[in-house]
Amino acid sequence: MKRLVLTLAIMLVCCFTASAVLAGGGGPPKNLIKGFFIKVNPDHTAIFKMDVTGEERTLKLSEDIKPEDVPMNRKVLVTLKTEGHEITNEVKRISIMFINLPASKVVALLVVGLIGGLLSGFIGSGGAFVLTPSMMSLGVPGAVAVASNMCHKFPKAMVGAYKRWKYGQADVKLGLFMAASAIVGVQIGIQIQKYILDHWGNAGSNLYVSLMFVIILVVVGTYVFYDAYKLSKGGKEAETTKLALALQKINLPPMIHFKQAGIRISIWFTIPVGVATGMLAATIAVGGFIGVPGLIYVIGASAVVASATELVIAFVMGMWGSIQWGLSGLIDIRLTLLILAASLFGVQLGALGTTYVKDYMIKIVMGAVMLIVSVSRGAKIPGYLADLGLRPPLSPETTALYDAISFWALVAALGAAGIIISAAMIRGMLQARAEGS
Amino acid sequence: MKPKKSKGPLAIKTLIFGAISGALYYLLFSNVDWVTTTYTMGGWHTVYPVGTALIFSFVHGAFASNFLSLLGIEPKGGH
Repeated sequence: MKRLVLTLAIMLVCCFTASAVLAGGGGPPKNLIKGFFIKVNPDHTAIFKMDVTGEERTLKLSEDIKPEDVPMNRKVLVTLKTEGHEITNEVKRISIMFINLPASKVVALLVVGLIGGLLSGFIGSGGAFVLTPSMMSLGVPGAVAVASNMCHKFPKAMVGAYKRWKYGQADVKLGLFMAASAIVGVQIGIQIQKYILDHWGNAGSNLYVSLMFVIILVVVGTYVFYDAYKLSKGGKEAETTKLALALQKINLPPMIHFKQAGIRISIWFTIPVGVATGMLAATIAVGGFIGVPGLIYVIGASAVVASATELVIAFVMGMWGSIQWGLSGLIDIRLTLLILAASLFGVQLGALGTTYVKDYMIKIVMGAVMLIVSVSRGAKIPGYLADLGLRPPLSPETTALYDAISFWALVAALGAAGIIISAAMIRGMLQARAEGS
Repeated sequence: MKPKKSKGPLAIKTLIFGAISGALYYLLFSNVDWVTTTYTMGGWHTVYPVGTALIFSFVHGAFASNFLSLLGIEPKGGH
């Protein structure tokens, strides 16, 4: 009976997912085309053979693209210039779709995958915020980086969710309810993005994303960190927040009992948290930064249950996203599988690490990561303000400095998380071994 | 003292899943041109990358799980 209910719930989510996929939204930008250049003409145009359809198009090359720079007979992604809503026939940028993978890049992908997985297994999300920029810095085109990362995220989340369900931490029912509302949130998030893109262009959209990132991460991250600090000092067990207790008392049907989380709450209070998770996922690609704190402070789950349940949400949403990106044929499976090779170790290590630490440790890692990542995004804001003409343009040196701060802050976030989790886990294991012998 | 479990069956399982995982990785990367072309055709071909990611996660995930257990890295309470 239990299995039947679970299967039905999964089917419901799948139907919802399928309808959302068919309804469109998300996925790659419309001005991105995929295929091969077969000839460059003397009049600064080139013949482009579209992938799949085989249709040949004559594209105008923009002035800054030299004819000798056009890669011939290699699969490329071409970004076309847009004027308002219209997509022109002029090439803005050409990116090689499949980068060469020398041993150094393979090692880089494995290392980032391992630590990203560790973080994901431990706090329920993470990895994505550093994997996509890392892949881009290895030369992977942005859309392919997002797609390949998404395709690695859902199997990783699935393995992590399974492990943590086995440990009695993941509430699958709560995860599925949250995921269904998160998908609605993603659609809303995409619509907001489109509105901003239409009115203020790319620079406006970038500024909006960065501002949202910094504001949410600083506010929520500081609160999570402060809460964890208080708990670690007092040595007390975490208590359910007053807000969550008050919401659980309100009898607004339908009331749902989430057994694993030990919560009975109205669906009308889980929906906003799910929608907010989805909106954030559509905006900054890391929904878990709002999903996990939302589950803890609004719904009333413990940090262990919240971070485990977030993996269920990440699985459903990652699968939905991967199908969308796969429909456009942008997943580089080599990258996906290389990251997966290491992250499947990382995610299981992170998951079993949660069984050795106190609840507040998850909050410490989460708060620390959120705050360091906000520095990374904050460093991008001056550049976007300059793009919008809201401040004088930055010198190339300053731009390079801000870019370096942004990238290294991400590396620092990952490094700090890796060290805190490993240290806490080793300490917990040694303690358990000493008690057992 | 807790009774020590024999690690023999675990080692065999790790070896089997490791061999399958290694073979799958070899198969994919030795046919990389065909794979990258077919997997990025778009449309229904989305089944290829999504399905492959799922299969690899089952096999390689099982290998990783057994390998960690073999190293003695187990969750607290031995779930």
